[in-house]
Amino acid sequence: MNFRKTTAFFVAVITCLFFFGMTGAMAAEPYNLGVALGLTGAGALYSADGVEGIKLAVEEINAKGGLLGQHKIELFIRDSQTKPDVGVREVKDLILRDKIRAVINDYSSAVAMAVKPIAQEYKVLHIASISNSENITMINPSPYTFQVVPNSYMQAKAAAVAIAKMAKQKGWKEFITIASDYEWGRSTQASAVKFLKETSPDLTLKKEFWPRLGETQFTSYITGIMAMKPDFVLGSVASNDNVAWMEQAKNYGFFDKIPYPGSLITVTELMLQAKTLTRGIIALTRAPFFAHMDNPMMADFVKNYRAKYNKYPSDWAVLCYDAVYALKQGVEKAKTIDTEKVKDAMKGMTVDLTRGRLTFRTIDNQLSCSSYTGTIADDPRYPFPIYKDIIEIKGSESERPESEILAARKAK
Amino acid sequence: MDITSIFTQFLSGLTYGTILFLVAAGLSLIFGVMNILNFAHAALWLMGAYFSYTFWNLMQEYSFAFWLSIPLAGFAAAAVGWFLEVVLIKRIYKRELHEQLLITYSIALILSDTIKLTWGVTNKLIVRPEMLRKPVFIFGSPLDSYFILVILSGAAVAIGLWWFLKYTRYGHIVKAAVYSREMVAALGIPIPRIYTWVFTLGIFLAGFAGGIQAPIGSITLGMDNAIIIQAFCVVVIGGFGSLLGTLVGSLIVGEVMSFTILFWPEGAMVLIFVITAAILIVRPWGLFGTPMRT
Amino acid sequence: MKNKYLFPAALFLLAVVLPFIVPEFWVHVLTEILIMGLFAASFNMIFGYMGQLTFGHAAYYGVGAYTTGLLIVKANVPLLVCLPLSMLSAGLCAAVLGYFCVKLRGIYFAILTMAFGQLVYYIIFQWYTFTGGDNGLQGIVPPAFLGKAANPYYFFTLIVVTLGMIALWIISASPFGYTMRAIRDNAERTEFIGINIQRYMHLNFIIAAMFAGLAGALWGPFNRSVAPDLCNWHHSGMPVFMTVMGGPSNFLGPLVGSAIYTMLMAFVTSFTEYWPMVSGIVIIVVVLVMPGGLLGLLGEKLPFLRQNEGNAKETKG
Repeated sequence: MNFRKTTAFFVAVITCLFFFGMTGAMAAEPYNLGVALGLTGAGALYSADGVEGIKLAVEEINAKGGLLGQHKIELFIRDSQTKPDVGVREVKDLILRDKIRAVINDYSSAVAMAVKPIAQEYKVLHIASISNSENITMINPSPYTFQVVPNSYMQAKAAAVAIAKMAKQKGWKEFITIASDYEWGRSTQASAVKFLKETSPDLTLKKEFWPRLGETQFTSYITGIMAMKPDFVLGSVASNDNVAWMEQAKNYGFFDKIPYPGSLITVTELMLQAKTLTRGIIALTRAPFFAHMDNPMMADFVKNYRAKYNKYPSDWAVLCYDAVYALKQGVEKAKTIDTEKVKDAMKGMTVDLTRGRLTFRTIDNQLSCSSYTGTIADDPRYPFPIYKDIIEIKGSESERPESEILAARKAK
Repeated sequence: MDITSIFTQFLSGLTYGTILFLVAAGLSLIFGVMNILNFAHAALWLMGAYFSYTFWNLMQEYSFAFWLSIPLAGFAAAAVGWFLEVVLIKRIYKRELHEQLLITYSIALILSDTIKLTWGVTNKLIVRPEMLRKPVFIFGSPLDSYFILVILSGAAVAIGLWWFLKYTRYGHIVKAAVYSREMVAALGIPIPRIYTWVFTLGIFLAGFAGGIQAPIGSITLGMDNAIIIQAFCVVVIGGFGSLLGTLVGSLIVGEVMSFTILFWPEGAMVLIFVITAAILIVRPWGLFGTPMRT
Repeated sequence: MKNKYLFPAALFLLAVVLPFIVPEFWVHVLTEILIMGLFAASFNMIFGYMGQLTFGHAAYYGVGAYTTGLLIVKANVPLLVCLPLSMLSAGLCAAVLGYFCVKLRGIYFAILTMAFGQLVYYIIFQWYTFTGGDNGLQGIVPPAFLGKAANPYYFFTLIVVTLGMIALWIISASPFGYTMRAIRDNAERTEFIGINIQRYMHLNFIIAAMFAGLAGALWGPFNRSVAPDLCNWHHSGMPVFMTVMGGPSNFLGPLVGSAIYTMLMAFVTSFTEYWPMVSGIVIIVVVLVMPGGLLGLLGEKLPFLRQNEGNAKETKG
């Protein structure tokens, strides 16, 4: 199995070399779409699903003749390795060599923030579909950068609402946070702590833990937290690390002893840890497909995705699929693939996505989309647990007020 | 901070130290005997973890799959190690230091991509048998029950290696080779063959350690990056080629990591490197090594 | 002796002409080649001329990059002022750490430099409030007079790197440089003629670090951001690859190596994500087939490439 794949790879490389430069232009001008996601490194788990979502969307659009019925989308996929430095180089390369008009990037908010000024400089659309630090759109905004995923502020607020209610019921006093030590973990943790302090002044933050992105051994963190006996723990650990952290914590009986409400547990974790995940946890996620199965677009997407990849789509597949369709609708509204016009058309635009009809905010190009909390429970319809009693917190309920954004920009 | 939590933290340091020991033992053995710093060691360790996943996955319906896949991972990795030694490593014994490092570093790069090509980018999870899914309590301190197995394997490897070096003929040859290759060769012992088997044994340990690591959390690409540097630290602190040193070094690094996380989480890695650098400056041959070759 | 300058002059001329011919993407690649070339050349001061392998040279490159990055982002200091300050900070760092490193030789030198390199990496990585931690620093914009196009910054880099290379050349051809060669070839004998080899090695270590810092300082404005990965041990491996590819016994070897490595990477990454595997295979082939690097191999055929090096074969410490 391994040998065949390896051989296939080499054959592919040689063929690529052989035909390098032989691919000529076709009829109408194609629309070159770049994808730079963390295909290796800490973000690999989420990014791989994202690429699948993008590929499916592009296939569907091209089957209908492409954008505006004539511009076939050509995909250029690169690996940002979840490192800002590499991400910048790859995106530059995509822009200059592959002449992309838009780039979907990245898993890591740190990478997205480093890529943002590059995209702006070269006037290329930049769609953030997995990374969600609010700093991507709040500070130094770029008219070329759009975010189709609920940002860290919106997510933190959604989590805080769920937690505050439970804290009041159970009389919780002290809590500990554990968050991945990079942009997303930092900004989510900061917002969540701020909300919790505002909504429930009795709560005190006892300690913060910051495992580095890419940590694989969480044992000492787990025992450390358990020794401090907090009333609950708030977690913002992502991707590969989240799986490792939850698996190891579970085997310490962590979730039996300490409530772990409102932390990120996405569809990826639900599927991957189907057998081992502790049921009954109240968790938070960004785009669960099962919350919108009543929307025909989502139902079709899930059906096609399952047909193509033989599995259910994760949040990341949904978000990246939506990113391509948001772009498509932007092009249709502008009636041209000219980036300047598409960028202007997308400002404040309302789009129809798998998650329903949503609008980009004018002030920061953030899609006003929902966050989802619910209780993890088994469901006969799926081979993995899903969220029960889903609470959908709409974008309008969780967005940062515009006045605060303006103030933050001024302070910078 | 009560006594129970300190003991809990000590236990978690012990388990991490054991994991490090399993990785570093082969690294130290290879360096001690062959004078080659093997950058590819952790990549082979990771490969062992993936092998173990594949074996477990293939035999899933049998209850022994979980137990059997761990030693099998060691043998599979050892086969890869043997191949690498015969094809590549053999050629660089007499080469310059930088060439040796570059070759093993390149092997690490190639192996990482081979893993990616073979097993893909998605995490792999091994589901443990029911009996290993719950924590156990030792004097009131929780411990993941699987870690008892980890600690026992660490102890078994340590005792096995010690016995091998102390009581077997091959062990004596290997120990002698740490001191003077020339003398061993002069006695008519075929050094190249000894090297091949020492390297294979070292990689077997790496693969076995990977197999042990696999059920702890999930197996992901890039796991090897962090552990290789920590394993280097262990070997430097303990002393190249010293089994006892590697054991002590692993426990020091494990416990330091475990306790600094409580008191000064940001400083954990910084502290490890400060200790490593201090040892190198004061005693370059490590706590239990012997000042022989440079 | 006259045509000793022929090869460098030809390279420089090529560097001046190329950006007007090649597409913009390749101008970026050229800029990267120059920056990494200076980094590799500074590494070769320790490796080729002092005979010690450092596996933590990226630390000084990173310190330089962060000095410029922090000065530009937090204090808006002009780039021309940042460059010497970056050299200074990298030099200071090396003055402290190098003091310990030069006491060791061979593998211990390599490991200690690596340990110190990782120490610097983790300090930058963990100091979130100051360095931005894993995120790095964004918004490092080159000064307005360099504009936003690729060419002006390329020529700025070319001037800085050329000056840096000339300075390194002068140092390596000075009596100091020859003392370094003597230490490399026979440290004991050099000590017997009354030279304090540790002090010389320390000074050389600082000089090498300063130029690595200068190279690092050029990186931030080029990439518009810096990240902690610039100082970790993987990045320390890059000048080793480059130098070995180009040829450590030739002054321009590291620069040539940087050109080969960077162009190969730009070419390979355009059609496969498996660049690490390709680079690994290339390095193995280079080490096994042409141990003297490209210039070492060509030097046998083309005498004008050869330099008056005396004993080009280095010895282990």
